[in-house]
Amino acid sequence: MAFYDRLLELCGFEGDDIEQQRPRMEQVFTTIHIGPDDMPRVEERVRRQHDLSLTGVRRLLRAWLLELADLVLARDEGKRIVYYGYPSIQGPGMAIKAALGEHSYVGCPDVVLCHSVGLIFDALTPILETAENRGLPAGHGLCSLQQVRNGALARGIIPVPDLVVGSSYYCDMGSKADELLHEIYGHPAVYIDGSMDSRWGEFPGYDPERITLMGTQLGKLFSTVEDVLGVRVTRDCMRETMATNRALFSGLGRLTFQMMADPVPISAVVSGMALNLAAASTGRFMREGPETLEILCSEVQERVDAGVGIVEKGAPRVLNFAVSFSDPEITHMMERAGLALAASFVTVPPAKRDPSLSFETLGEELAEAAMRSGAYHSTYGFAKRFAQAARALQMDGVIWGYQYNCRPQALGSHLFKQVIEEEAGVPTLSLEMDIYESRSYSAEALKTRVEAFAEMLRARKVLNQGGR
Amino acid sequence: MEELQRLSSHLENRLSDLAAARGNGTRIVGYTPGGYLPEELVLAAGAVPVCMIQAGERTAVESSEPYICRWIDPFCRAQIGLATSGRDPYYSALDLLVVPITDNHIRAIADVVDYNTDLEVFPFGVPHMKEPSTFQYYLHGLVRLKERIEALTGTKITDEGLKESIRLCNRERELFRTLSTLRQSPGEAISGSSFIALNHASSVSDKRFMVQLLESVAHTVMSQPRRQDNAPRILLTGSTLAMGDTLPNLIEDSGGAVVIEEFAEGIRPYWQDVSLEGDPLHALAEAYFMDRVAPAWFRPGTERQNFLIRLARGWHVDGVIWYQLLFRESYKTESYYFPDRLQRQTGRSMLVVESDYDQSEAGQMKTRIETFLHIITGGTD
Repeated sequence: MAFYDRLLELCGFEGDDIEQQRPRMEQVFTTIHIGPDDMPRVEERVRRQHDLSLTGVRRLLRAWLLELADLVLARDEGKRIVYYGYPSIQGPGMAIKAALGEHSYVGCPDVVLCHSVGLIFDALTPILETAENRGLPAGHGLCSLQQVRNGALARGIIPVPDLVVGSSYYCDMGSKADELLHEIYGHPAVYIDGSMDSRWGEFPGYDPERITLMGTQLGKLFSTVEDVLGVRVTRDCMRETMATNRALFSGLGRLTFQMMADPVPISAVVSGMALNLAAASTGRFMREGPETLEILCSEVQERVDAGVGIVEKGAPRVLNFAVSFSDPEITHMMERAGLALAASFVTVPPAKRDPSLSFETLGEELAEAAMRSGAYHSTYGFAKRFAQAARALQMDGVIWGYQYNCRPQALGSHLFKQVIEEEAGVPTLSLEMDIYESRSYSAEALKTRVEAFAEMLRARKVLNQGGR
Repeated sequence: MEELQRLSSHLENRLSDLAAARGNGTRIVGYTPGGYLPEELVLAAGAVPVCMIQAGERTAVESSEPYICRWIDPFCRAQIGLATSGRDPYYSALDLLVVPITDNHIRAIADVVDYNTDLEVFPFGVPHMKEPSTFQYYLHGLVRLKERIEALTGTKITDEGLKESIRLCNRERELFRTLSTLRQSPGEAISGSSFIALNHASSVSDKRFMVQLLESVAHTVMSQPRRQDNAPRILLTGSTLAMGDTLPNLIEDSGGAVVIEEFAEGIRPYWQDVSLEGDPLHALAEAYFMDRVAPAWFRPGTERQNFLIRLARGWHVDGVIWYQLLFRESYKTESYYFPDRLQRQTGRSMLVVESDYDQSEAGQMKTRIETFLHIITGGTD
């Protein structure tokens, strides 16, 4: 029995499964510098932070570990490798994966590392410290997700990709960090450019030229994929992918809906792990996702039916922007404060496409969907989506936990609170956070503000009920 | 220099001149710096362009605190502080604030000012790559802006009117080029702080006055003997050099001579003229977007880095001082690998200084600059 077998069992691996994965896992543990001495701490962390009584949770942890192995071993296993940035618009990554086929790795490596090396092993710090000496120093508000990618490449944890796709339509940091890595490693990078220049209040409207620009830029991405990797990304690829994924997204939708039960049945840590697997992975999400989600949703439904929850019935219901990718303790702290983290940004899907619209290219189709999402439209569009969701879901509060070193979020530090409270009348906590790594924004550091907010929401609920 | 006294007097009266013009129905169009707003469009409509370039001190930054967190570049926070205060005379003089959206720091100005003030904000996009699709997008933004300015002023912008203002602005650019080129040769033709003061003044002063003044300055500079000294020659570059920034004086007080500058914001781009051939709007987009050396928020930033190497060689500099504002990630990221490239290609060293517009920085910054100047001039003790 190897030192990591018990951990793998905790994470949903079973007998034959462990044997099959053993050679890969051996290599992964060596690469991320996790050895026998780490195991008591890691096992205790997994037991403490995750609801292992649910098979679905264990299977989710398993999926993230397998995704980590796919990422770490991609070069050794002879795969073609494409990294894309986070956040990314839904679609291009999956379409590229569909075109490249199984013998490829297409994903968002930093998000994978946060959910595995961070969330499971609590071992991100050496990676971050490496990046701090490789062009992304501390104290300058530089993106911690980019630090994870930078540090992991420098430490040889993840392979140098064949192509990098930068989300130049959203943030400046991702593209510049990719440029820095290109300077060091020389791999090709393609930037999908755009401009978030809509006027305040314009959402959901937009200047059609924005679609033309972003559509053309996405077309450029697909041409580059063809040039560099020799495969064509077509509308058929996209449709095939979407058809395959319909069950997956339906499962995610079901889970999201179940989170709205009172009492909220599971921790938002779990729903976050499921949703982010969809965002960061084009491999394990598709392979492990359907069965994992089916199991999880069935278990969660049993809890809902039995009225079992992780916070008391009637607890203030909160729309929480995002859960920490690497530190479940932050989410648990919010839940221990008595908040039901019932909804997230994705709970209320964006409006459907106007059926009268038609687009000439796949790029334009994807660009139009990005506009409707709000987040890639404008600060106003993003905040407006929050306000609409908070009102539609009758939330008691909103936690706008903005990523301090993500400029598109930081510039809305105050605006989101203003817009949501004004338009939805829902109390909003503007909470400065680092959802990627928690050295400076730990649960303890955030606790006082969250507890005060929870107390206020409870008092408000009592007051409102008394008034009825 | 007598011209600088005239300039000082012009600037002292500038606000009252703007108020008088506004009283007579002239529209005042403010814009954020960065070199992507063709002033020609504003001038051709009979309006007055004013670049919101003032910053450098702490109070304005602190005034932004009720509206935005600290993780945005201090220049942009200062603009938010000034605009939302309701007391800044320049912002109070505006009928419209045009914000070419270059990066997310500048976008913060547009969003926060729009939401929190009554000032009309007109954002338009500046993509981050030079390609046919991005050029078309920038051109489309100019078309939208032209329409908005016409509506604001009630004046149709004609091709002829546009060409006339292009001629005027080309003349201004030509004069700045002349002055800069004079600084290539040894000996001081015009000090760096004087050149920067002129360039900054051109952001807010009357255009015709400025052109006449620059003609006079160029004549004076060319007719007087150069001051010979051994001051180390410095290329000053970075994200933003605001009107109110003390760094150029700090360098000169420390014994250095700023002989050439390259900034994304705060130094008016003057190396490219706008063509008078063909469609003037197209010509503006060509010059302002395609020809202009792109700032670090373009991806990749290679064009600007190559330009810096050319400037370092052409102006025979002894060293480069890279002045970035805190949290402006594009410049911070490039400052990691550019020094090596500079050293390899020119043999010159680079000092990175960073500011959050905090007065307490000055002492430490001066010590670092003095040390750098000492080192690049061969000092050993």
